Amino acid sequence: MTRSLRWMFVALALVLVVGVPVALRRIPAQAPDLSAATVLSRIRAAAGHPYSGTVELSGDVALPVTSHFTDVGALLGGRTTLRVWWRGPTEWRVAKLLVTGETDLFHDGATTTEWRYDTAKANQSIDPEVRLPRTADLLPPAFAARAVEGTSARDVRRLPARRIAGIGAVGLRIHESAPQASIDHVDLWADPRTGIVLRMEIYARHASTPSFSTAFTSYSPKRPSPAVIRFAAPQSVPVRFEQVLDIADAANQYAPVVPPQVVDGLKRSRSSTGAVGIYGTGLTRILAIPLRRRDAATLLDQVSSSSQMVGTDMGPSLMAGPLGVLVTDGDRSGWLLVGAVTRATLVAAAHDLVAGSRYR
Amino acid sequence: MIRTEGLTKKFGSFTAVEDLDLEVAEGEVYGFLGANGSGKTTTVRMLLGLVLATSGSVEIFGQQMPKHAGAVLPEIGALVEGPAAYGHLHGRANLAVLDASGPRGGRRSRKRRIEDVLDKVGLGGIDRRPVRTYSLGMRQRLGLAAALLNEPRLLVLDEPTNGLDPQGIREIRDLINELHAAGTTIMMLSHQLAEVEQVCGRVGVLDRGRLVLQQDLAELRKPTGRFVVTTPDVAQVRTILGQRVEGDVPGGLLVAATDAAELNRALVSAGVRVQGLVAEQRRLEDLVLAATSAGADRIDR
Amino acid sequence: MITVELVKLLRSRRTWVTILLVDALPTLIAVLLSVTDLGPRPGTGPAFLSAVLNDGTLFPLAAIAIVLPLFLPVAVAMTAGEAIAGEAQSGTLRYLLIRPVGRTRLLVAKLVSVMAFVLITVLVVAATAYVTGALLLGNAASTGGTVSVSGSSLSTSELAWRTALALLYAMLAMLGVAAVAIFASTAVRSPLAAALGTLALLVASTLLLPLDAAHVLRPYLLTRYWLSFVDLFRDPILWTNVVHGVIQQCAYVVFFLAAAWANFTTKDITD
Repeated sequence: MTRSLRWMFVALALVLVVGVPVALRRIPAQAPDLSAATVLSRIRAAAGHPYSGTVELSGDVALPVTSHFTDVGALLGGRTTLRVWWRGPTEWRVAKLLVTGETDLFHDGATTTEWRYDTAKANQSIDPEVRLPRTADLLPPAFAARAVEGTSARDVRRLPARRIAGIGAVGLRIHESAPQASIDHVDLWADPRTGIVLRMEIYARHASTPSFSTAFTSYSPKRPSPAVIRFAAPQSVPVRFEQVLDIADAANQYAPVVPPQVVDGLKRSRSSTGAVGIYGTGLTRILAIPLRRRDAATLLDQVSSSSQMVGTDMGPSLMAGPLGVLVTDGDRSGWLLVGAVTRATLVAAAHDLVAGSRYR
Repeated sequence: MIRTEGLTKKFGSFTAVEDLDLEVAEGEVYGFLGANGSGKTTTVRMLLGLVLATSGSVEIFGQQMPKHAGAVLPEIGALVEGPAAYGHLHGRANLAVLDASGPRGGRRSRKRRIEDVLDKVGLGGIDRRPVRTYSLGMRQRLGLAAALLNEPRLLVLDEPTNGLDPQGIREIRDLINELHAAGTTIMMLSHQLAEVEQVCGRVGVLDRGRLVLQQDLAELRKPTGRFVVTTPDVAQVRTILGQRVEGDVPGGLLVAATDAAELNRALVSAGVRVQGLVAEQRRLEDLVLAATSAGADRIDR
Repeated sequence: MITVELVKLLRSRRTWVTILLVDALPTLIAVLLSVTDLGPRPGTGPAFLSAVLNDGTLFPLAAIAIVLPLFLPVAVAMTAGEAIAGEAQSGTLRYLLIRPVGRTRLLVAKLVSVMAFVLITVLVVAATAYVTGALLLGNAASTGGTVSVSGSSLSTSELAWRTALALLYAMLAMLGVAAVAIFASTAVRSPLAAALGTLALLVASTLLLPLDAAHVLRPYLLTRYWLSFVDLFRDPILWTNVVHGVIQQCAYVVFFLAAAWANFTTKDITD
């Protein structure tokens, strides 16, 4: 065999090794031809359908806010791999995979157990009325459920099919019609058989690439075994019960204010009855948290020192992709407003909040 | 035994060996000569399948090389560009490793064969010192031992006496003669012309990758029919011998004659003072120098 | 020829010194941990290292995690880089080839000997770590069994076979390095250059891995799946990356050995 023949053989091996996976990915995805309205209704009907798999989150929503929000910021502004076993809304487990460990949420009824391998500790809590987003909220089906909330057939159109986790998924684009929204559109791809959303991409206004995407990398629509979902604490692991979950929960329970019913035309959601206000529907929502003086000062510092900070007459604000943040600059206390809304809406909402809140 | 046809090797644009037709007959001691960089080693590497020829063919024992290397090489012992061994192992272990690596390295006879070849090259008494500590001469002897390990039909030796003292050179010469007598074909590369002259039956001379001379040394040793006469009476000799004077040498003349005694008598009887009278000897050196140009390690302006 | 190479490997003092040096680091860490009782801060340091203070049976894994990123690949690259270039440099290559040893056979024998080196090194590190872990570090039996990464209890037999799988996985990862080094060894004249070339590839891969701009390259990077052996200790085991890692390392081994073979079998041996 000559020298060149041997090298051709090697080159062929290289082409096969590198090319076969690439070629396999290039095979066009096949999906049934359904109307946009049908796809939308299938996605809605999939609520509560069990599934399991691996999910990859990827985003460039860089929140400069660190204290109290570390997990949320890392989830929206980086790459995260999750494993999920979902039997139903009250029975699931989501594991955030770290290179050398993992953080699990085991959910059973209203009780959530958080297991952290790096500290070897388990914390239990009862789901509060209001809380900050957690890993489970960012799974494609859970996130998409919010996106299709209040969407009418007029706002959707079909996208070409795409292969996701080995499944030919039907595509759907949802245009955010609300004038307050900072999100331009949301692209979804769903399993045509079950309606479970397999991939979701969020585009801010005037953006050509998604600010955030969440997608299955492996997926099964089968109901996972209950044994996987249950957390049985080993002898050596201490389990603690937590009364207060996070800053939103704490403010909601203890802050002595009652927020107004409407801010900048967005109605308050019924899901919160405490001091924290949640306004709007779908993805166009504002979360308004009353802050103690000390917390407000810290947040003001952090937002003000960001290079993207823009001062408004209500206080410093910034837009991280479609996500707007504003901290009101009051003398006694302050409000933290977070939401996928425009800056103008944030400012108007802050104005309404400061003017319309009553003290208990 | 060895036959090459049109053997050519190019390294990039540099032609190391060009169109070489070599022939080594069974049972002979062949001297392969040439200046440094003339392509000797490249040729030997091509014979052994280490370097692949650009074009042309090599046939050893009537079989194509390197196609049938598996059948040909076990019958060849070689010393290529100096000996080499694992520095951290002792001599016997080195031979054992080499023996076990290839075919025909019978395990049962290994020990005996190793002792045999060590005796042959004069290393019978070596201890367990690692080869790293050996002198140049000892390494050379060990390399020879490795070449002889499997009683080869053909020996290819590149500068076999390199690094040896005069005593050692003598021993190796005797060893080569002994092997030759036992029927082994030997191809010897050297630039020690005197040594080649003593050992080899035939020589080939390589110059800048081309074979410029291939000749029997018996031919060289035959009388030339000329004598060197050393005498102060040059003019007198010329008048006496006339046409028979064929040339000048320092202090005398070159004279054609059939019998030295007869010539001497003719000169002495004519009153010429003869200081010396010897048969003319053709030397290999003259032959080689006439056929070759300066070595490749000489760079002229 | 394979036997000869194995004997050469096992009789070489260098082999054992290398293994000893690789083994020294985790042992030193075990001693330091047991003396100071200071684990790495949560979420930092090599995998499993923070867990070994409570559970010494995890120390073989921690030891592998300690040596896998640098020590082990350096040792393997040095040994595999010797394969052909080392013989060429000492001049013994030409004598082996005219002995004759077929070029493909020589390559296979060298590969087997490098594999043996990887096997011995990993086993020695794991065995030493098992002993030091049991003697110096936390005793899991007293604290209630080994805890998996996902917070479930692992029985001794489960721990044993998962550890065995992790060791095999680490060996396969090193085989990828070895294949690269063997190829480099056929391409250059000096064994050191072959080893350094391999390490350059390793460092490049490690640097590119966290880079978002290089995301498309990630699945092809040599070190991409090395740490995936941690996935074997999740519950249930996450096979995806482990399987990808196995396929990827096999692809590396196949490609680089094919390249080594193509290069070596048609190479002019001039040194």
